Amino acid sequence: MRAAWHRRFLVFAALAASVVASQAIGQAPSGRLVLYTSQPERDAAQTVGAFKKAYPGVEVEVFRSGTTEVMGKLAAEFAGGASKADVLLLADAATMELLKKDGRLLTYLNVDLAGLDPGSYDRDRTYFGSKLITTGIAVNTAAKSRPASFADLAKPECKGQVTMPSPLYSGAAAIMLGTMTRRSDLGWSYFEKLKAADTLAVRGNGAVLTAVANGEKAYGILVDFMAFNAKAKGSPIDFVFPAEGSPAVTEPVAILKTTQNPVAARAFVDFILSDDGQKLAVSMGYIPAKASAGTPAWLPAGTRIHIMATDIGKVADANSANLKRFAELFGN
Amino acid sequence: MPDATDWRERFESYGLLWGLLLVVGILSVAPLARLLAEGIAPQGHFSAGALERVFSSAATWTATRHSLLTALGGTFVALAVGGVIAVMVALTDIRARNAFVFCFVLPMMIAPQVIALAWLQLFGPSSPLLKALGVAQTIGGRNPLYSPQGIILVLGVQYAPLVFLTLRAGLRALPGAMVEAGLASGAGPITVLRTIVLPLMTPPLVAGVALTFVSCLGNFGIPALLGIPANYLVLPTLIYQRMAGLGPGALAEVSVLSMLIGFIAIVGILLQDLMLSRRDFRVSTTSAAARPFELERWRLPVEVALWMWTTLVLVLPLLALALGSLVPAVGVALSAKTATLANYEFVLFGHDAVRRALFNSFSMSATAAIAIVAIAVPLAYFVVWRRTRLLKFVNFAIEVPYALPGVVLAIAAILLFLKPLPVVGVSLYNTVWIILFCYLGRFLVLGLQPVIGGYHQIDRTLEEASQIAGARLARRLVTIIVPLIAPAAAAGALLVFLTAFNELTVSALLWSSGSETLGVVFFSFQQGGDSTYASALGTLTVAVAAGSMLSTLLMADRLPAGVLPWRD
Repeated sequence: MRAAWHRRFLVFAALAASVVASQAIGQAPSGRLVLYTSQPERDAAQTVGAFKKAYPGVEVEVFRSGTTEVMGKLAAEFAGGASKADVLLLADAATMELLKKDGRLLTYLNVDLAGLDPGSYDRDRTYFGSKLITTGIAVNTAAKSRPASFADLAKPECKGQVTMPSPLYSGAAAIMLGTMTRRSDLGWSYFEKLKAADTLAVRGNGAVLTAVANGEKAYGILVDFMAFNAKAKGSPIDFVFPAEGSPAVTEPVAILKTTQNPVAARAFVDFILSDDGQKLAVSMGYIPAKASAGTPAWLPAGTRIHIMATDIGKVADANSANLKRFAELFGN
Repeated sequence: MPDATDWRERFESYGLLWGLLLVVGILSVAPLARLLAEGIAPQGHFSAGALERVFSSAATWTATRHSLLTALGGTFVALAVGGVIAVMVALTDIRARNAFVFCFVLPMMIAPQVIALAWLQLFGPSSPLLKALGVAQTIGGRNPLYSPQGIILVLGVQYAPLVFLTLRAGLRALPGAMVEAGLASGAGPITVLRTIVLPLMTPPLVAGVALTFVSCLGNFGIPALLGIPANYLVLPTLIYQRMAGLGPGALAEVSVLSMLIGFIAIVGILLQDLMLSRRDFRVSTTSAAARPFELERWRLPVEVALWMWTTLVLVLPLLALALGSLVPAVGVALSAKTATLANYEFVLFGHDAVRRALFNSFSMSATAAIAIVAIAVPLAYFVVWRRTRLLKFVNFAIEVPYALPGVVLAIAAILLFLKPLPVVGVSLYNTVWIILFCYLGRFLVLGLQPVIGGYHQIDRTLEEASQIAGARLARRLVTIIVPLIAPAAAAGALLVFLTAFNELTVSALLWSSGSETLGVVFFSFQQGGDSTYASALGTLTVAVAAGSMLSTLLMADRLPAGVLPWRD
């Protein structure tokens, strides 16, 4: 405790001195900010780098891993006392709903939500979507046929050639499962058909990309930005927006109630939702939450992606049961 | 009337013993106790709910069966490969022995997922080897490695060096005179192996087998890669699934499942104890290394077979890594036009985390190796030569943190260290120190088991003679025991270093900016689809590791005989 206080005092003293020297106005965010995120490694580094440029007084500490590991770490921290994290940037809103129900998230009432679609943030202002990441079909350019919909993947010509990310390890895949099982044209019977067609459920979207680009599997269920970024670098992979619509996640950012640095935490949320933060997301290959920030290079301007409608509250409630059923179907 | 020497001797001896027990208690027992508490009393209230849910679920028993099967199978394969190769290297007259040992041990520096991935590609549809042989499958065929047999094969190959290192250190103590006497009396090589070498080598063999069994039992990465797609669950992957599915409520169930793994590991130790207590394996001579078996016309075929094995296990995965690091994106065919060094540029200069990870992993592994051996040598002294029940318990306690999946140990460490330490007020959380703490607790068994095997081979008369001459415990340990136990201790230190260097599952939950490890950065790249960066990092890691292993040859003259496995 004392060491932490000493450290914070020193940082604050140094900052106070520099503030006086440069005659800065207002209460600049400072001190230490702890971020837990499930973004890919390079994107997390870029996001933090850009934030530090905008707010040089803040020292950011990052923990980056898959959604499962981040939730496991949070669970252990909650059980052991209080979490050390200040802000979370996770893949999907269902995970945020679980945390919100548990009373772990801080309400940020004065956040600037101009330009954001009302469906992308929480009504109660506890979490805010930062991007739009859709899940669709990745196809190896050497594959024999080109599926146009999810239903096509369960057809006999694709038997044994499909891979998908396991919802047990990927937040985006968990949302996809929750969304698609609630539809009458897909539902659980669709996944049973996939299982009967020898579909491979692997650990995470990265593994799907590697398998499809390498030619191990011809088709994969994959998130859009990964496929397009690889294609831009030369990978023999194509992406199809499925006819039924695209399940989407918003990669929300949230502040934990037990944050030690609420000023810097709010500054982080502001940065993510600001024009600069949204343009950064575009440059990394994501569709931004703010339409005015533009679109990534792989999405021609004016293209309309048909997002699958979803009730995030119901998906969050059913998540645990869905994962268990999926595990029994595919993993036991 | 006890005289001053006796009093000092006893003080030193008990002081050392209790000091060691305290260290082991903090490193191994404390995290386990905290985890156990979470299992039966989550959030402080006693509840048997988790116990009920876990033991009544069919998935638990299926996973247990699968775990036992893959662990026993993997151990068998590792024993067959590692044991045979150790005998070949130590007891026959094959040429280029040191180079071969170096190449045989180096795969331990490559992350196991990489070897598994390289083999998946080898057996997959875009495999250059199969295409060259004309038996390539069409795109989308089912890979034969996604099966329990694939898991057993890869586990066995992964841990063969472990058996090899332990057995090789033991073979240094083999009295060449006995073997030569057997041969001179007319016994054939196989008879000599069976009646002289194997019985004398029982302690290091048993140590190697026990370690391999526990390693296979607690391995997460390989069953995750090969078992999940094949619908084949083992206990570590089941634990991970429970964590993924239940979030905060899963901790209690995770704890109970971990206790199940720990229980199986302890049964393994009990069997090991049983095997070692039936006989006396001490050897009182230290003769020079013997090459009693001359292979004559078998020499070239054996050498060819050994180097073919090396090709399969080292060269091919390394080649896959290196080639994968030179392409601009996954799946692009490598050619003069497409080859690029951009991945290395990014990994070395564009991403700070890599340099920090290299430094962290190297220093933590080296520190852990040295510290663990420093604990293991005196601890094994007491375990083997002052057999008390408390020390038997210690043997079990040390085994469990290694048998548990890394993620469980990490959770136990989080529960323990979330709040700052009581008296000192310093928080270890989210620093390299909590990771180092876990490494020490987890890999202590890797250092202890080979050393215990080594002690079983030493005759105590030398030590007793010096005790009569008046030397106290510390002096005896340093001047008499350490030189005798040096090969076994070095094998243990090497095992710890190699295992900790690429370690992933423990640091995956405990790291934070500044305390990244190589395993974490590598895995993050792969998870994010940046497998070209992962390949570049993997190749760099192997280069650094090979470089440091080669640099030990420079110091070889100053080290006791038999310490470096790749130098005679």
